Amino acid sequence: MSKPVLVIGGGIAGIQASLDLADQGVKVYLVEKLPSIGGKMARLDKTFPTLDCASCILTPKMVSVARHPNIELLTYSEVVEVKGSAGDFHVKVLKKPRYVDEDKCIGCGECITKCPSKVPDEFNMGMSQRKAIYFLFPQAVPLKATIDREHCLYFTKNICRVCERFCPTKAINFEQKPETIELKVASIIIATGYELLDPRIAPTYGYGKYPNVYTSLEFERLVSSTGPTGGEIMRRSDNKHPRSIAFIQCVCSRDVKINPNCSAFCCMASVKHAILAKEHLPEVDCTIFYMDLRAFGKGYQEFYNRAMREFGIKFIRAKPAKIEEDPETKDLIITYEDTFTGAKKTMRTEMVVLAVGVKPVYPEVIPLTIGEDGYVHLKNPHIEPVATTMDGVYVVGVAAGAKDIPDSVIQAGSAAIKASILAGGVVHE
Amino acid sequence: MSKDFEPRIVVFACNWCSYAALDLAGTSRMKYPPNFLVIRVMCSGRVDPQFILEAFRRGADGVLVAGCHPGDCHYIEGNIKALRRMTLLKRVLEEFGIEKERFRLEWISASEAEKFVRVANEMLEKIKPLGPLKVEEVHMHG
Amino acid sequence: MNEEPRIGVYICHCGVNIAGSVNIKEVVEYAKNLPNVIEARDYIFMCSAPGQEIIKEGIKKCNLNRVVVAACSPTMHEHTFRNVLAEAGINPYLLEMVNIREQCSWVHSDNKEAATTKAKLLIRMAVAKASLLEPLKEITFKVNKNVLVIGGGVAGLSAARDLAAKGFKVYLIERKPVIGGNTARLGRLAHAEIKGIDLVGELSRQVLSSPNIHIYVDTELANVDGSVGDFKIKLVKNPRYVNEKCNLCGECVKVCPVDVPNEYEFGVSSRKAIYLPFREAYPPIYVVDSENCTRCFECVKVCPMNAINLAEKTEEIELTVGAIIIAAGHEPYEPPIGEFGYGVSSRVITLFQLERMLDEAGPTKGELKLDGREPKNIVFITCVGSLNTTPNAYPYCSRMCCSSTIKNALMIREKYPEANIYILHRDIRTYSRGDEQLYLKAGESLIRFARYREAPNVIVNPDGSINVRFFEETIQEEVFLPADLVVLSVGMKPPKDIDKVRTIVKVGCGPEGFLREAHLKLRPVEAATDGVYLAGTVTGPKNVIESIESGSAAASKASTLLTKEEVRVEPLIAVVDEERCSGCSICIGVCPYGAIRLKTQEKARVAEVDPALCKGCGACAASCPTGAMQQFGFKDAQLKSQVLAALTK
Repeated sequence: MSKPVLVIGGGIAGIQASLDLADQGVKVYLVEKLPSIGGKMARLDKTFPTLDCASCILTPKMVSVARHPNIELLTYSEVVEVKGSAGDFHVKVLKKPRYVDEDKCIGCGECITKCPSKVPDEFNMGMSQRKAIYFLFPQAVPLKATIDREHCLYFTKNICRVCERFCPTKAINFEQKPETIELKVASIIIATGYELLDPRIAPTYGYGKYPNVYTSLEFERLVSSTGPTGGEIMRRSDNKHPRSIAFIQCVCSRDVKINPNCSAFCCMASVKHAILAKEHLPEVDCTIFYMDLRAFGKGYQEFYNRAMREFGIKFIRAKPAKIEEDPETKDLIITYEDTFTGAKKTMRTEMVVLAVGVKPVYPEVIPLTIGEDGYVHLKNPHIEPVATTMDGVYVVGVAAGAKDIPDSVIQAGSAAIKASILAGGVVHE
Repeated sequence: MSKDFEPRIVVFACNWCSYAALDLAGTSRMKYPPNFLVIRVMCSGRVDPQFILEAFRRGADGVLVAGCHPGDCHYIEGNIKALRRMTLLKRVLEEFGIEKERFRLEWISASEAEKFVRVANEMLEKIKPLGPLKVEEVHMHG
Repeated sequence: MNEEPRIGVYICHCGVNIAGSVNIKEVVEYAKNLPNVIEARDYIFMCSAPGQEIIKEGIKKCNLNRVVVAACSPTMHEHTFRNVLAEAGINPYLLEMVNIREQCSWVHSDNKEAATTKAKLLIRMAVAKASLLEPLKEITFKVNKNVLVIGGGVAGLSAARDLAAKGFKVYLIERKPVIGGNTARLGRLAHAEIKGIDLVGELSRQVLSSPNIHIYVDTELANVDGSVGDFKIKLVKNPRYVNEKCNLCGECVKVCPVDVPNEYEFGVSSRKAIYLPFREAYPPIYVVDSENCTRCFECVKVCPMNAINLAEKTEEIELTVGAIIIAAGHEPYEPPIGEFGYGVSSRVITLFQLERMLDEAGPTKGELKLDGREPKNIVFITCVGSLNTTPNAYPYCSRMCCSSTIKNALMIREKYPEANIYILHRDIRTYSRGDEQLYLKAGESLIRFARYREAPNVIVNPDGSINVRFFEETIQEEVFLPADLVVLSVGMKPPKDIDKVRTIVKVGCGPEGFLREAHLKLRPVEAATDGVYLAGTVTGPKNVIESIESGSAAASKASTLLTKEEVRVEPLIAVVDEERCSGCSICIGVCPYGAIRLKTQEKARVAEVDPALCKGCGACAASCPTGAMQQFGFKDAQLKSQVLAALTK
């Protein structure tokens, strides 16, 4: 018999690593801190360069994870302690209370319809509202409701309990307590992904100050049919379709003062955004401001060429100096240096989308060595590409360096085989 | 000939190359006329000439059989078998008085979405002026 | 199955992918009125968990025995929905998919009415076929636990190492006389203190220490029969003319009269017809290049070990494996003579030739001297062979060249602090971890970057000096640079023999010849053919680390297959109606796999299909004069029902 493996993080990298391991007959504990797996990819509308819809390729994998007999899915949970060494790690996982009995909840959503408390929906980057009892998103896995204690009227004001009354299976349990689960695993795969940096640290771009300046992830939700506007691209200021959109690359990345790293996927994401904008609003004028257009993956250059030739997207090589708002129209005025003439130029646009850099997220309880670039230090990237300096601990996906989906999937596979070797198990002759 | 004539064209596409090319046309958001109704087969070698005769008898205005390029067949040379059968079939169709523009056999690889779009446009362009196939005048047996 | 068909039709919005062009409401209403349809429903994402629940609920509540799902291409989700049927307790082959996304909503988004009409017709065709579907039983094969890895570069070595560590027997074949691939010829690697050869050495040591790995060099794939879990492999081992008695004394080399450019040094140096590709080569045995050998037998005479046999013949090897990993790698782009002055002046070299020259163990001992002098002005031109820079170039980006160029420029800077170094580029694509820092360091090290759009003009003057002229995009001026050395940062292209390998294994390729993944995003190391996996640059450009990772990832996928005791395959194979079969044997001649034979049945002779050999092409069914031969899932009646439904006005 093989020993189990712990996978931390339920984004595409963690999902893929878990499935690869489970399909090799290895028992997997997949720990995800949010109420659903899916990670950042679940928030994407389409993926470059094929424009495959992200849900269509991701959600079936999520379903496979949930149904796999070798995978124990621990959502809304966090790793709080790791002891031991390769082959024999002792791990404690804290399962946060959903205040909903997962075994009883049938995901009917009756409680959500009835809940009176509305809060900004973090899945839609706060651009829409959800209830205090909620699904992270409609295709969440597992499809179990979660009560957000901070906004629940019962927890804050000791009133309401409407959800309890309407739940057809009596799944609501306000008394639920955090639960600590102890695991013994042979290996750990860290697939904890990333967060976008807060573009307010580059105040010249006016994010947070001007309503029509968006982050790339906000725009992703905005064009998504499951997003806050049902896929309508509308400005925050007036709910009107923009007639022009400017996409600005390398915000909080490739910037020695803030973050010198390249985020690897933003160039193509912005090209995709511009194409999607054109598909939604054929008349819209799209401009991409870039330093180097990094179309390096398979089919990427061809995608970039199509953006220029077929969709008429304009590319300007410049890093804008600042963005200001016309207070009357809420349009935005971008000041940039024309690299051709060196002259200061301005451009008026009705919407700005910032391709914001990323920073990795790590579980605090694992004593990883962090490199100068802010990413986990690897033992010997050429010989054992995904191995950290801790034996038996592997890191994949954006947590191992910014990368796109296929490269995350490849790394997930490569960590899976390493962990699978450590987990052991019999191969018959 | 009515300007509103919208031919109905049946396509037999092999799973490995041509059907994939049709999918690629979709993912690449190419546009082609909506007159083509695709029937998936594993190999162009599965296409029995009877199916094509049946299609014309039932009122198809055109039929396209699409397979992998010679040498690329997933089943070694199913496409070559299709080629032999379709060459014979073309003569039969001619005897029945079915215009040759109404039937085509094409090699379309998985990466040739553009070729499908071109073939589709060409076929439609050539079939439209012919008008609907007058089945009652065609005495087919089998 | 005699019971009355009871069909459920489930229509997916796919967000707005389908719903944006197809009027779903109208289609649902239409579907409800089709023959045998009991219920028709729609949902935003039918493939998601709640979507799948809708189907299961329908099967149970309405007692359905057939399901039609109108969504995306069956290549995407047929498998997903078959599982849904199985989980709901009905045979998974009672499903028919309708492709209303790739082949309808996406291609007709300019005409919503036509898209809606076509979606209806496609659903009508599927419902017609669904009524005639039969429950099928999957065929199971025992999985052979051995694996064949094609290619001994870093990706193949990485895959072999991991699979052997997992306990599988690995056969690694390499058509060259030595393992290590392109990486063995690289100098110092970026972000590492080690050289390509050392990395290959370390990987080889790990591979060779495993008793589970068998390496065949000089060996090519000749044929593959069988299928997932049970591939019958034929290999051809070309003669090396030197056997393992060779002690590397080198006497043979001294007497060999032939002198040819050494391809392992990218022609920077020459070698004999009998040679060792490089120091630390594995296997450590000399090899005779039969193309250039004059058969003078001098080497045979001097060999003290009697290790040379010029009469050696090719050898055939047969294996059985459960899985195949193709890691056949790439070749560097070779500029045609005259492109950027390449081949016209010895001062124009490729990045790989530079790597060899900068290697202390290389032909020039790490010295970059031209006519005895150190170069003062060095101009790198990137995107040679890539991004359609020249008419001969490929359209894609080769991914590793920018970082590799900068790494080499920095090495030159270390050695020659006074040199003027220019990098002419289109975009600097240092995307990989740590590469941006390398780019910053290059700037600090006074390596100058200039941007071109039109291919620079390399002018070789009559006196041998060189000028590079190009239009600099940033300053918008024509720039004229003197150059002692021009380095062409060449990209990658698919290896020469890849077409032969891929047709034998049955794997598709893209327009430039790189192999095609089962899915570009989520199945990057799997081929569409079951049991075949892809690693390294054979699917497209990658850097060294990425190649090693993809080797491991392919190993992981292969391991998911090899750990199973048996594998199930789609039963879409041929089947004979013995009542109708006349025993004419036409089908036997048509079958490419020899899967059909005659058997005697109640005195008559009828055809019989061997399910283990039949691959399900259906050629026999198309040729059967009596209609006795059919193909499961694609029976005459089923296909004709689709034709009929398509044409009913």
